[in-house]
Amino acid sequence: MVAAKKTKKTHESINNRLALVMKSGRYTLGYKTVLKSLRNSKDLEEMNLLLVFKSKTLIGEVRKLVIIANNCPPLRKSEIEYYAMLAKVGVHHYNGNNVDLGTACGKYFRVCCLSIIDPGDSDIIKSMPSDH
Amino acid sequence: MVKFLKPNKAVIILQGRYAGRKAVIVKSFDDGTRDRAYGHCLVAGIKKYPSKVIKKDSAKKTAKKSRVKCFIKLVNYQHLMPTRYTLDVDLKDVVTVDALQSKEKKVGAAKETKARFEERFKTGKNRWFFTKLRF
Repeated sequence: MVAAKKTKKTHESINNRLALVMKSGRYTLGYKTVLKSLRNSKDLEEMNLLLVFKSKTLIGEVRKLVIIANNCPPLRKSEIEYYAMLAKVGVHHYNGNNVDLGTACGKYFRVCCLSIIDPGDSDIIKSMPSDH
Repeated sequence: MVKFLKPNKAVIILQGRYAGRKAVIVKSFDDGTRDRAYGHCLVAGIKKYPSKVIKKDSAKKTAKKSRVKCFIKLVNYQHLMPTRYTLDVDLKDVVTVDALQSKEKKVGAAKETKARFEERFKTGKNRWFFTKLRF
């Protein structure tokens, strides 16, 4: 009983964090763009450089996160996971299907996978790997 | 977030005539060029894999069976599946974009990569790269 409650609470917090990313961060929705963002690292390297210049200290890498809905076809899911493993990007398996993930992003369409390039104000990337 | 489409990465071609073949990235153009405005790379791949060599084979037969036929191609990133394997063969001087301009240059470059691939195959290293992908 306690376990069920805990997952519900963390589930809501993921949704909250995702909403914050939608508002303030950079993300892409959809399988094709997720793969594109995983192949590319240029945006991120630029941002890393900017951060280093501004703060004169090495903050540590700005990381990406990939979120996959639970009804994603297994071949596609493993393909995204493999790309993420090569790119050293975290993958989060969302507790809900693509309809729920679309709603969590505030969109009126289904989203099977999404990639968070820049989390903005949200701490989704810092807190998610510990959950996962 | 690490860039992984780098030279020496082994990839699998997904589309086109060479679909299902393994190749190695020689040079990558992340931003594309004026002619190809998308991320693509120059790959050198195996057109015909070497056959299985058994102990019983005579020297002439092993020589015949270890032949590798190569291709050189510019491929869009979307049509590649990267793998976790790498192949450390120095092809940078041989495989260049201007080798693709004319037929004779292309054949010359392919012959040279064929020689390098064959010598790598004979050492027995990178065995994954020289085995055919079954699908």
